[in-house]
Amino acid sequence: MNAVTRVPRLVGVGAVWLYRLTFGALFPTTCKYHPSCSEYAVQALRRHGLVRGSLLAGWRLLRCNPWSHGGFDPVR
Amino acid sequence: MIVYAVPVISQLETVMRHVLNWFHSNLGLTWAWSIVATTVVVRMLLVPLTIRQIHSMQNLQKHAPQMKEIQKKYKHDRQKQNEELMKFYRENKINPAASCLPMLLQLPVFIALYYTLRNFQSHFHVGPHADLSFLHFIPSIAAHTTTHWGGYVLLFVYVASQMASSFFMMTTTDKTQRTLFMITPLVFVFIIARFPAGLVLYWVTTNLWTVGQGLITRRLVGKTPAPVVEKRSSRTPPKDDGSSGNGAKQESPQPKPAPSASQRPRQVRRKKKRTSRR
Repeated sequence: MNAVTRVPRLVGVGAVWLYRLTFGALFPTTCKYHPSCSEYAVQALRRHGLVRGSLLAGWRLLRCNPWSHGGFDPVR
Repeated sequence: MIVYAVPVISQLETVMRHVLNWFHSNLGLTWAWSIVATTVVVRMLLVPLTIRQIHSMQNLQKHAPQMKEIQKKYKHDRQKQNEELMKFYRENKINPAASCLPMLLQLPVFIALYYTLRNFQSHFHVGPHADLSFLHFIPSIAAHTTTHWGGYVLLFVYVASQMASSFFMMTTTDKTQRTLFMITPLVFVFIIARFPAGLVLYWVTTNLWTVGQGLITRRLVGKTPAPVVEKRSSRTPPKDDGSSGNGAKQESPQPKPAPSASQRPRQVRRKKKRTSRR
């Protein structure tokens, strides 16, 4: 993996960690999915890159709503 | 990415300014109470999303024994325990955990309020003698929390309310995770101390709302009574299940397996009566 593909996904993962350490820590909730939404985002960004990983993470966030049933949902 | 985010932030800031201004001008609230009112409105808008969670918690009460069984079965493997619990939730269409989406919907409000308070004096054109105080112990909501002793009181209230709200929001039974959630506000209080007092006020209000909501939820859901296990002794009369009125023992269709040492009923030794001969 070269720097061109590695840097964007590192930026994405960094953004998730920033969220985790600030807002996520201040509003501690347990996600209804496993892995949790932020963990899913990190895994998706690492596996699929910034663009596809962000889209997957966004779609997961939309699914993590009060009307969904949650459950085991790993990154594919 | 940040370049694209800045116009969004300025838009959010404008909306927040209009909302605060509306509460201040039309309802005659002070700026501090306008923040409290805004927080209450935001949380009220999120109430429909939490009703679903209350229903889920009500369903959860019915499945508590099975869940405990899963937790007991995989108590040494937390990963597996989580996966199995999640599968169980999905099969039974229940989930006690909160969703991430309602929480994330609060993020823009929080960011907007942060930027509004940061540029408060310049944007609202308030003079130096404007009433920015809150309940006489916070002199200015736009100033850093620790610039006045009242800020420390507010921070203390924040820590207490955050711990209380974490207590109600937590659905995990894992002790380490629970402790971590409870300690977090103590760690983050040092960062929050640098924020404007108005932002901490927003936080305290939203936490108190969560606590109130949690208390109401608990009252609505109710606590399931623990199953009453009847202790039987040699003196307990035989159970009358209505199948036989004559007290005769009914033969079970299959022979029962021999009870293990732990399951074996305790034998009561009775002293033999000594008959004294005269």
